Amino acid sequence: MIIKALRWFVLVVAVLAMNFPVIATFVTSIKSARELSINPGLWIDQPTFDNYARALEVTDRLNIFGYLFNSLVAATIGTTLAILLSFPAAFAIARGDFGRRLLLPVVVNLRAVPLIIFAIPLYMMFQWMGLLDTQLGLGLILTIVNIPLALVILVNAISDTPIELDEAAKMDGAGTWQIMLGIIRPVVRPALVTTFIFGFITAWNEFLFGLMLTTNKAVPMTVGASFFFSASGGGIQWGMASAVMIVGALPPMLIGLLMYRQIFGSMTAGAVKG
Amino acid sequence: MEQTRRHEGVILTTPLVAFLLLFLGFPALVNLYYSVSNVGFETLRAPVLSGLGNYLAVFGDAGFWRANWFSLRFGIFTALAECGIGLFLAIFLAPLLAKRSWLMAPLMLPLMVAPAMVGLMYRLVLHEFAGPIPYYLYEWFRWTPAFLDVNSAFWTLAVVETLQWTPFAFLLFYMAYQAVPDDVRQAAALDGANGWQALWTIELPLMMPTIVIAFFVRFIDGFRVFDNVYTLTGSGPGGSTTSLSIYIYEAFFKQGAIGKAVAASVVLFVASFALLWGLNWVANRRRRA
Amino acid sequence: MLILKRTALSLTALAGALMLSTATMAQVTVLGWPGGSEETALRAAVEAYNGQEGVADADKVELLFFNRDGFYDKLQADMAAGSDAFDINLIATYSIGRYAPYMEPVDLGEAAVSTYGESILSTMQFDGQQYGVPTDLSAHFMYYRKDLIEALLADDAAKAKYAEIAQKHLGKTLEPKDPDGWTWEDWAATALYFTQSINPDSPVRYGTVLQLKNLLFNMMVFQSLPRSYGGDWRDASGAVTVDSEAYRTALELYKTLYDAGTTPRDSLSYEYAETNAAFGAGQAATALQWNAAAGELTDPEKSPAVAGNVGIVAPPAGPAARADHIHGLGLGLNKNAKNKEGAIKFLQWLATEDAALTYARAGGSPALAPAVVAKVAEERPDLVQLGEFASAYGYVMNGGTSANALSIYELQAKEFTAYWSGQQDLDTTLANTKAGMEELLK
Repeated sequence: MIIKALRWFVLVVAVLAMNFPVIATFVTSIKSARELSINPGLWIDQPTFDNYARALEVTDRLNIFGYLFNSLVAATIGTTLAILLSFPAAFAIARGDFGRRLLLPVVVNLRAVPLIIFAIPLYMMFQWMGLLDTQLGLGLILTIVNIPLALVILVNAISDTPIELDEAAKMDGAGTWQIMLGIIRPVVRPALVTTFIFGFITAWNEFLFGLMLTTNKAVPMTVGASFFFSASGGGIQWGMASAVMIVGALPPMLIGLLMYRQIFGSMTAGAVKG
Repeated sequence: MEQTRRHEGVILTTPLVAFLLLFLGFPALVNLYYSVSNVGFETLRAPVLSGLGNYLAVFGDAGFWRANWFSLRFGIFTALAECGIGLFLAIFLAPLLAKRSWLMAPLMLPLMVAPAMVGLMYRLVLHEFAGPIPYYLYEWFRWTPAFLDVNSAFWTLAVVETLQWTPFAFLLFYMAYQAVPDDVRQAAALDGANGWQALWTIELPLMMPTIVIAFFVRFIDGFRVFDNVYTLTGSGPGGSTTSLSIYIYEAFFKQGAIGKAVAASVVLFVASFALLWGLNWVANRRRRA
Repeated sequence: MLILKRTALSLTALAGALMLSTATMAQVTVLGWPGGSEETALRAAVEAYNGQEGVADADKVELLFFNRDGFYDKLQADMAAGSDAFDINLIATYSIGRYAPYMEPVDLGEAAVSTYGESILSTMQFDGQQYGVPTDLSAHFMYYRKDLIEALLADDAAKAKYAEIAQKHLGKTLEPKDPDGWTWEDWAATALYFTQSINPDSPVRYGTVLQLKNLLFNMMVFQSLPRSYGGDWRDASGAVTVDSEAYRTALELYKTLYDAGTTPRDSLSYEYAETNAAFGAGQAATALQWNAAAGELTDPEKSPAVAGNVGIVAPPAGPAARADHIHGLGLGLNKNAKNKEGAIKFLQWLATEDAALTYARAGGSPALAPAVVAKVAEERPDLVQLGEFASAYGYVMNGGTSANALSIYELQAKEFTAYWSGQQDLDTTLANTKAGMEELLK
C-alpha cells in the first residue's frame, strides 16, 4: 500500500517537475499586463484570456493560423518522406546486412553533426532551386533531420522481429517486397508510429532552419512565435508571447496525447508465440 | 542468391542514398572546399583556396577546445541523468502505467515542446523578479540562488535539458521493460527470485541493448545541444556556455569566419565518424565471438 | 496501409497549401524589425504613404518582418545570396559598413536636413555617402527611483551611512546628489547604498541592474562609461586604444559593483527585457537602460510598482566628458531591389517632416531637429529628452561604423564578460581585446 502511494507520489512529482516550464508559461499567459509585473507567483488574482484573444487575432503582421498551417505541412512532409525513404533501407540493413558497415554508421553519424554547418550551401542551393520560403523546401530539410532517428528505430525494430516470420512467409512463396510490406510492416507498426510521432514533433519544433530558410510565406510556428519576443530595444510582451507559445505547442501535445495508445497498443510478443 | 540479395539491397537503399547525396552530399562538398579556402561574408560566392590555415586556426583556438569540453561534459551528464531517472521511472511506475496507460500522456508532454521555446520559457521562470521559482524560493526559504551566473549556468542548463528529455529515455525503457517476455518473468518467479533479483539478473540484462542505445542517442543530442542553451544564456559570459554547435554558429554568423567554422564542423564530423566506426567494429567483433 | 494513408494525406495537404497561398502583389517591400515601437511606427507611416494620392499601385509599400533574434544573421545570409525578396531593409549605424556593398546610397533631398539635422543624418552615412533615413535613434538613459533619492537627500542619518559605504567600497567619502549632477562614482555610491546585502536598511534589494550578458548590445550600454573618462576605440592616428586607463577604470568599476552584489548575480545573463523586469518590479534603485524602455517603465498599466516614481536623466559624467552612446536605426535601399524607383520615392517621403511626425506620433523614436520635435513635444516628451541628450552628449566611437563594427562589439562582449564573471584578469582581457580589434580594424 505504501509502495503504491509512493509510486503515485513519484509520478506526480515527475510530471510537475518535467512540465513545469509549460505550466508556468500557461499561467503567465492568463495574467493581465498589470499582474505580470507585480505577481511572479503561480496564483493569479484575475485570470484573463486577453492575451489569447490578441494572439489569435489575424492581422497581416501576425497570422497565427498561417504559421500553424505551415508547420503542419512542413512537418508532415518531413516525417512521411523520412519514413518512406528509411523503411526499405532499414529492411535491407536489418535483414540483408546490406549497408550495415557504411550506410548505417554514416546516417547515424548525421545525428551527431549540427546541421547548421550545411546552412549556407543549402541556402544557396535552395535559392537556385526556388525552394526558399516554401513549405516543401522546409519539409525537405526536416526530412534530413528525421532520417537518422527513423533509420535507427526501424533497423532496431526490424532486427528485433524474429526471422522465423520471414522464413515462414518465404516458404509460402513470398518475395522480398511482399515480406517487407506484408509481414514486417504490420509487425513493426508500433515502431513506425513511434517514428512518425517523434519525427513529426521534432520537425514541428525545429527552429534554426525555419529561421534561416523562410521569410514570409512558409514561416513555421516556432519562428512565428518568437516574433512575439523581441529583445534589445523592443518590448517583451511576456503575456502575449506566453499565449502564443502555448498555442504553438498545443498541436504536437495533442498529437502525442491522442497517439500514445498506438505506441503501446500492439507489441511483437504476440506474433511469435503461436 | 548473393547476387539477388545485393541487387535487392541496392534497390531498397537507393531512394535514401540518392536523397542524402543530393541534399547533404553537395553541401558537404561545398563545405570541404570552403574549409580549405579563405572565404568571408563578402566573398561568399568566390572562395579562394588557401590550404590548411583554417584547420590550424581551429586547433589553435582555445575556444574550440573549451566548446568541446563543454559539449562533452554536457552530453555525458545529461545522458546519465536522463537514463538514470528514465530507467527508475520506467520500472518504478510500470505497475501504475500498466493499469492506466493514459498516465503516459502527461509524462510524454515535455518532449512535445520546442527546445528553443523551453529556453525562452526558462528565461521567465528563473528571473529573479518575474519568475515563479525565485519567487517561491524567496518566500519559503529566504533563498535567492543565482541560476545563471558563471558557476551555476552549466548545471542549470543541464537540469533544463534533463527535465525536458528524460521522458525520451523513459519511453524507450518502458517499452523495453514491457517487452521482456512474460514466460521469462514467470520462470524467474518459479525459480524463487524476488523482485530485486529478477530485475538485476534478468530484466536489466535483457534491456541492456535499449539502455545502451538510449544513452548513446541522448549523449549525441546533449553533445550537439543548441536551441535551449542559445535562447537561455547565449554563449554565456566570456563564452562559458558555448557548446560546440554554438561555437560553429557564432564562427559562421557572428565572426564571419566561415572557413574556420566549416573546418571545425569537418573535424567534428570526422571525429564522430571515426568513433562510431570504432564502436561498430568492437560491437561486430563481440557479436562474432 | 498507414503509410499510404499518410502519404495521401500529406499530398492533399500540400495541394491545399498551394491553393491557399495567396500570391503577393509586386510592390515595394520593406523589411523591418518586428515586435517593438519601430514596427508600430513603421506601420503607421506606411499606411499614411499608401493612402496618399499620386502613389501608383505598383509603388505601394508592403511590409515584411522576420525575427529580431538572429535578425542580422538572417539579413546577412539573405544579402549574401543576393536576395531580392525585399527592396528596402533595416540598417543600423554599426552595420552600415558591413552591408554597404549590398546596398545603394540614396539622395534624400533637402527635406532630410531640415527634419533631422546633419549630425543625426551622419549616423546613416558611410564612406561619405548617405545610405538611409535615420528613423529611430537609440541612446541610453539613467533611470532612477525618484522617491528613493528624495528620501535619501532628506535624511541626514542616511547621508552619513552613504558616505561611510562610499568610503569603504570606493575609497572616497561622497555625498548624495541630484542624479542630473552625478558622476559615475556618485552613481556607484548610490548603487552600493541601495543594496540590501551591504546596507540592510535599504528599501530595495539592489542598487542597480547591470546588463552583463555576453551580447553585443550590452557593450553599447557599457561604453559611455569609458568614453566619459576619455576612452575611444582608436585615437586620431588610428591606433587601437582599448587598453587605456579610461577603459581600465571603467571595467574595474563594473566589476566592483558586480562583486559587491549591487546587481543580481544572474545579471550575467541579463539584457533589455530582464533589466526592465527587475527595475519594473521595484527592487532596483537605478538602471542604465535604453531609451526605448521609457514608455514601458513610466506606464502605470505596465509597471504599476514603479510608474510615477521613475526619473530619467542622461548617463552620469566622467572627468573628461558626459557621454551618451547613440546609434541610429534606419531604412535603406537593397542593391538587388526589384522596384528601385518606387523604393527611392518612399525613402524620400520618409525623410520629410510629415512622415517623421507621423512616425513619431505612432511610437517611433526619431531624433528630430528642435523646430520639428517641438511639434510633437506634447505627445512625446521623451523625444525632447532624446533629442537633447543626443545632440549634447551623443558620440560614435572612432571605428564604430566600420565594416567589422559588429564583430568588434561581439569580441568586447566576450572578453569583458569573461573579466566581469571572474574568468580572466584585466590585463589578459585588454590584451585580447586590443589584438582582436587591431585585426578587425585593419
